[in-house]
Order: sequence, then structure tokens, then C-alpha cells
Amino acid sequence: MSWFVGIDIGSAYSKGVISKDRELIAWHVIISGANHRTSAEAIMTELMRQANLTQDDIASTVATGSGADNVYFASQRASDIVCTARGINSIFAQARTVIDVASLSTKVIRLNQEGMVTNFAVSEKCAAGGGRFIEVIANVLRIDLSDFGPLSAKSRNPVIFGTGCAVFGESEAITRVSEGIPKEDIAAGVNKALASNISSLVRKLRLEDPCAICGGGALNTALVKVVENELNISLLVPPHPQIITALGAAITAATSTTPESSKEQN
Amino acid sequence: MYFAGVDIGSTMTKVALIDESSNLVSAVKGPTGPEHRQLANEVMRQALEKVSLQIDDISCIVATGYGRVNVPFADRQITELSCHARGVSSIFPNVRTAIDIGGQDAKCMKIDNGRLVSFVMNDKCAAGTGRFLEVTAATLGVRLEDMGDIALKATKRIQISNLCTIFAQQEVVALLSRGERLEDIVAGLHNALASRVAALAQRLGIEPDLVLTGGGAKNTGMVRAVKESLGRELLVPEEPLLTGALGAAILAGETYMKAVAASGAFSAKPRRLEKATFFDREHQ
Repeated sequence: MSWFVGIDIGSAYSKGVISKDRELIAWHVIISGANHRTSAEAIMTELMRQANLTQDDIASTVATGSGADNVYFASQRASDIVCTARGINSIFAQARTVIDVASLSTKVIRLNQEGMVTNFAVSEKCAAGGGRFIEVIANVLRIDLSDFGPLSAKSRNPVIFGTGCAVFGESEAITRVSEGIPKEDIAAGVNKALASNISSLVRKLRLEDPCAICGGGALNTALVKVVENELNISLLVPPHPQIITALGAAITAATSTTPESSKEQN
Repeated sequence: MYFAGVDIGSTMTKVALIDESSNLVSAVKGPTGPEHRQLANEVMRQALEKVSLQIDDISCIVATGYGRVNVPFADRQITELSCHARGVSSIFPNVRTAIDIGGQDAKCMKIDNGRLVSFVMNDKCAAGTGRFLEVTAATLGVRLEDMGDIALKATKRIQISNLCTIFAQQEVVALLSRGERLEDIVAGLHNALASRVAALAQRLGIEPDLVLTGGGAKNTGMVRAVKESLGRELLVPEEPLLTGALGAAILAGETYMKAVAASGAFSAKPRRLEKATFFDREHQ
């Protein structure tokens, strides 16, 4: 029994991974929806199907994220900050700063040489600090979230948003649409506004290179680019940025059940 | 002799006509128009029609509010803060602090003898403005104008923990599905907004008399919530939306009298009762 599961129930998306010996075996992402218990079950079922396992094969399951309480079958719960840090550390051992752009909030985490969390900051008070800002504007523009990055990459003249508020930003976007401003310029403007909010959060904590970016926001390649420009650095982007925290949860599951590695824990 | 004030807000245009003794002779509120404020002239026309006056009968017209730029029938533009301060003190001569809760901003003004001394303003975060109630009312399927009365029926105190309007929308849905009663949730939303407005006012320092104006003052639930948040008595004008336009009209009268005293005459602009245009791009 050396398979471990990490499940990260976020406000917008639920993510799950199976890992074995720190290797990613299978992963799955679904929309969290209204019932987080059902989402947790659906993820587990799909993971088992992909890896051709049964739940008896799983040594331990760790739940994290804002909806972690709904993963009733988990062996334990872990802080999303720790899980994100461990997930990134397993891929980029050199990373000293992590930016996690989720729907509900953006988190910035500082790591020491051992990959331990030394400090963090969360933008939890305001929708304009997280991916939710993009979701709101994507809805106005009637475009898919996955098209947001590629579309805004085409912009030559990004719209400047007057405030950092997602509600006022929504009205501004509607006005710009009615003025006939191209969608890509509005999308690029939102990316810029979000990037500037993210960057001020990073600066608050002081940036230490190398810096990685993860979370659903990192799938938006244009956003990653503007954050890079704002901070004047290049960012490390993992192959599947959205599942990093779930991966970290699986690693947590492994470290807390294997006796020889228990001293690695925070 | 007549003077007019036109307050072109983001959603409503308000017109006040006064005579030379500053008596209000006509007042009209109407929609600004969704695009480019084209209905402002219509509101002006109605105000004139009510008292059978022509635009040329008005000796001086002052425009104020977000849309004050490019009003083809105005002689002067004066900021809404100065106009509000003037209008509020013409109704309540002892006012020292005025709070205005608008549809997309909230302002607090320190006033001394009818003059604006200092102010603080929030137009950056929707959660501290009328927009907060507008958005959450839509989520709850309640008309904005009914929100205040619903709030007054609350029997239980519910705390809205999210600051952001967008997160509060989700929280409201979660509270409903948890079985909380609509009136308690609505009262919680009023308290949340009131506490933000109160924090803004406290940054400026509050001195009595304290007056509440703007759309927020038309909402009885909001008036109560602000009163409770500040723990102070609150005066509310009969027409809380009109203070800006009234102040603009009074300032129009003063502008006229000053010009006459200085040079014997006031040269009014040639007037066209045409639609106003909103800010030019460059103004934004």
C-alpha cells in the first residue's frame, strides 16, 4: 500500500491526485458545484478508475482547500498553504516564493531552503485579488475561461480599469463592450489589473527568486506573462498548475504515514 | 429671477429651480439614461415645464455630479462635494458632517458655515457603496427599493463575514440554503454596508449635526443601520437625492450675484437644451 491521495476542494474547482513514491500517477479536476461531498466522491471514483485501484489500495487520503471538511473519507486534513508549498517543492526544489492564483484568493508563500513555509499572505478579502475577477469578466465577455489567456495575448491596447474592484470592473467591462472595444483589449486589461493586485501582494511579502506560480490562474498564460512583467522576473510554471495543492496533499499523506519520513513534517 | 442646479449622477439626473430668495420652485428627478447621459436635458425640460419657464428665463445654471462635464445648457461646473455641502446646509444650517451614500460611491463631508472643509470618499470598492445592496438585492430576487423595509422586519442578527460584494453574493446564497430568513439576511447586509460607511465617516471625524443624504438615505433600513453603527442621531432631508442639485442652484445664484456686483452683469452662455455627453475619453 504505497498509493496516496490528495484532494483539494476549492470554491470553484475540486482537484484530486494519486501519487506513489512522490510520482504523479493520476489526476482529475472538476467544477466544485453546489455539493462538495458529491464532488469529493466523484473525484475519488475517477482517480480509482484511472489508476485501476480500489479504495483499499490507498494508504492514506489527505483533504485540503476551503471545502476540505466535505471529504468525509479523508484520513486527515491539512492546511492549503502547507500543501501548496509541498506540491511546488516536489517539482521545483529551488523555488523560494510561490504565487498560487486560485478563484477565491491569491496566496503568496515564502519557502526556506528545506522547502518549509516561512511566511505567507492571502488576498482573501477582495474578489479582485483572485481568479474570480477573471471569471466575472469572462462571463461579461461570454468567453470560456480557457480562452481568456490566448484571447488577451492578442491585445495591443489593453483597457485600463479605473478601480481594483471586481464589481465596478464588471460595469466597466459592460460599458467597454457597448462602446465596441475589442474583447481581447478588455480581457488583457483585466489580466493587467489582476496582475497588479497580485504583484502588490508579492511585494508585501518580499519576493525571493526563484519564484513559481500555480493554481488555476497559472493556466492563463497571458496573466503569467503580465505578472512576470510587473515583477520583472521569470516565473517557474509547473506542467499542471491547477493540481499542485492536491499533489502537496498527497505528499502530506505519504509523509505522515511513512515512519521514516515523518521528521520531514512541518 | 431664477437659478438652476443640474446634478447628473451615474443613474439619476436631478434638477432644482430656485427663485432669487433661494426658494425651491421646481424639482425633478429622472433617469440619466444608460448611455452618454442623453436624458439629462429631458429632466431639465420637465423641471422648466412644471413652472412654465423657458431655459432663457434662468439667469444662471450650474451643473454638478459625475456627468457635469459637457452639459450644453450649463454656465458653470462645480464639483458635487461643494454642491452637496451647500445644499445640505441650506436645509440644516447647523450641519457639521454629511454622509452621502450613492449608487457607486460614498462620501463624507465636513462642513463649516455651508462651506466644504474636508472630505473622504470611497469610489474604489463597491462594498462600501449603494452598489453592495443593489447587487445582493438582485441575488436575493428582491427589488432594491424594498430592501430597507424588509430589513426592518429582522428579528435575528446575522453577520455577513465577507467584505467583498462578490463574495457576499455567494454568502447570501449559502445563508438562504442554510434556512436563514430573508429579512434577517437583508438586515445583515444593511449592517455590513453601514459599518463600512461608518468607518469612512470616522476617518474624517464626526461632529453633530450629522446628516445622511443620497439614495442610501431613502432606505429606512439603511438610516437605522447607519444610526446604530455610529451610535448617533441622524438628520435626513425630505428629498435626500436633491441636495446636490439644490446646492448647485444656490451656487448658481451666488455666482450670478457676484458677477453682477463685480461688473454689473452676468454673461450667461448661449444655451442649447441638448443632450449632455458624458466624460470624453481623455477625461477618464
